Amino acid sequence: MTFLEKQTDPTSPMHWRGDMQADYLYPNGWAGDRFFKNLRDKGTFLATRCPKCSKVLFPARLYCEDCFVEIPENNWIEVPTSGIVRLYTFAKLDAHWEPLEKPRCMALIDIEGTDGSILGVLDVEETDEDLTGLPVEALLRPVKEREGTMKDIVCFKPSV
Amino acid sequence: MSRKVCVIGVGYSDFNSMTPDIQWKEMMYGACQKAYRDAGIDVRKDVDSFITCGEDYWEGFSIFDEFVPDQIGAVLRPCMTITGDGLYGLGTAYMQIKTGLLDTVLVEAHSKISDLLTPGEIMLHAMDPIFDRPVTGPVQRPRYGGSPTYTKEEPKPLIGATDEKQRVHPYFLAGMEMQHYLRTTGTTEEHCAQIVAKNKQAAFHNPMADYEANITAEDVMGSQYLFKPLKSLEISPNVDGAIAFVLASEERARELGVEPLYMSGFGWCSDTPWLGTREFDGGYAAKAARMAYKMSRIERPREMIDIAEVDDRFSFKELQHLEALDLAKPGEGAMLLEDGELGRDGSIPTNVSGGSLGVGNCYEATGLQKALEIVVQLRGEAGRRQVDDAEIGLAQAWRGIPSNSGAVAIFQKGGA
Ligand SMILES: [Zn+2]
Repeated sequence: MTFLEKQTDPTSPMHWRGDMQADYLYPNGWAGDRFFKNLRDKGTFLATRCPKCSKVLFPARLYCEDCFVEIPENNWIEVPTSGIVRLYTFAKLDAHWEPLEKPRCMALIDIEGTDGSILGVLDVEETDEDLTGLPVEALLRPVKEREGTMKDIVCFKPSV
Repeated sequence: MSRKVCVIGVGYSDFNSMTPDIQWKEMMYGACQKAYRDAGIDVRKDVDSFITCGEDYWEGFSIFDEFVPDQIGAVLRPCMTITGDGLYGLGTAYMQIKTGLLDTVLVEAHSKISDLLTPGEIMLHAMDPIFDRPVTGPVQRPRYGGSPTYTKEEPKPLIGATDEKQRVHPYFLAGMEMQHYLRTTGTTEEHCAQIVAKNKQAAFHNPMADYEANITAEDVMGSQYLFKPLKSLEISPNVDGAIAFVLASEERARELGVEPLYMSGFGWCSDTPWLGTREFDGGYAAKAARMAYKMSRIERPREMIDIAEVDDRFSFKELQHLEALDLAKPGEGAMLLEDGELGRDGSIPTNVSGGSLGVGNCYEATGLQKALEIVVQLRGEAGRRQVDDAEIGLAQAWRGIPSNSGAVAIFQKGGA
C-alpha cells in the first residue's frame, strides 16, 4: 500500500450494504421454443442435423456452431430421452458454500442418436465406481404438470 | 508494424483474503501508482491509453468502466474496460502499441471478491439460463409487471420439480472435468494433491502470496471431497488484490532508459458456451498457445520456454494446461511432476510463484498475477524463488468457471 496511514483498528472500517434487483425474462428462442413445446406435449427430445457436416445438434439449434449454416426445416429429428453418462461429479456444496442436504450427482449426458449432451441430475447414491458410460434415461414430470422448461426433466435414472 | 512491445513497469497492491479497510478504487490507485513509479513516468503526461479488466457482477455495479478513470490517472483520457482476464488487457495493449498510434499503455486488473457476499450465485448466473441454470436447483421466478416487491410473508416464489431446496455450487463443473481428466490421462488424485503441496510450499518464497502452507500431498488427500474427485484443498481460495502493468514501444522504453523486456507474443481463444458440445481438455489453451508461439517464433515450446505460470485454480488444471500448452505430452504432466521437472530447478519450472493455489484466486487479475511472476523472474528480481537463466517465460490464464476460454502471453528478455 502506498498510503501514509492505514486502518489498524479492525472495528473501524465501515461499509454500505447494497444488493441488486436483477430479474430477467429469457426467451427460449425459435429453436428452444420448439424443443420445449415438444418436450411438454410429446415427452421426447428434438435435435437438428447440420446439412453440411451431418452432426446431430442437441439440444436442437437453429444453426451449426461448426459450419455456421442454418438448419433446414426437414432436418429436425425426434430422439429418445436416453443416453449415456459422459461426465459426472458428486457435489457436496450449495451456491453459498453450505453443505447440500445430500450429495448430488451432477452429470453431462450424451443423448442417444445425437452429437450433443445435456446437463442433468443423476439419481444415484454416491459411489466410487466409475459411472462413465452408464446408460441412463430421463424421468419426466407427469404430462399434466409439465410446463415446457428444463424443470420437466426431474432427473436421469440408470436404465433397467 | 514490426515495432516491439516492452513491459516497462509493474505494480501491485497487498494481497489479502479480505480487505475491509480499503476500497477497490484505493487498491487500484495503489497498484497503478507503483507501476508508474516503477516505469519512471508521470501518468498525467506520459500514458497514451488505459485499459482495465473487470466484470460488472464481481464489482457490484453496472457499467464498471464508468468507475475507472479517476483512480488510475485516466480522467479525460482514452480509457476502456475489458470484461475479461487481465491477460486480455495485455493483449489489447500490445496491439494498440503495435499499431504505432500509441506508445505507452496502462493495463490494470484486480479482485475485490471479498466485497461480494454471494460469489457462488453470481457464478451460477454465468451459466445458460434456459438449459443449464434450472438444473442446478430451484429457480427463483419473479413476478411480472412493474417493480417486483417481496415481503417476508410473500417472498420471491421458488419453483422446482424436485424437492431440492438448494442450488448446487457451480464448481461442480470443475469436479466433472477433473473426473474426466483423471480417467482419460491415467493421472491420479495423488498427483493432483502433489500439485497443491508443490504450489503452496513454493508460495513461502513469494511475499505477495496469501495462501502459502506447509502441507503435504497426504494432507491434501485427507481434505474433504467437495465436488468428487475434487477436494477442498485443491480449490484455490479467493484473494483480493490489484496488479498494474505499463507497456510501451521499444523506442519509448529506450528513451526512459529501461532495459527492454519484451512481450513477444499473445494468443487467445474462446470455446463454445454449450456444455454439451465442448471438449473438456483445455483446447482453448492449446489454440491460444499456438497463436502466441507463432508470433514469438517458438517452434519447440518444451525446450524453449524457461518458466511457465499456468492457471491452477483447481489442482488438475495445472497439469491439463501444461499438456494443452504443449509443455508436456498428453497425459505426461503427472510424470514431469513426479520427476521434479515442474519445480524451481526442473526443466519446466511451473507456478514458482505459488500459482493461484498459493497466491489465491484473484479472478480477473489471475492472468496478470501469472504475467507479473514472469516479469519479475526475467528481471532477475525473484529472490529465493529465482529461476536460473530464465529468458523466455509463458503466462496463461483461463476465464474460469463456467468458461472454456483463455489467453497466453510470452515474454522474453533481450532481443526477441
Ligand atoms: Zn455443421
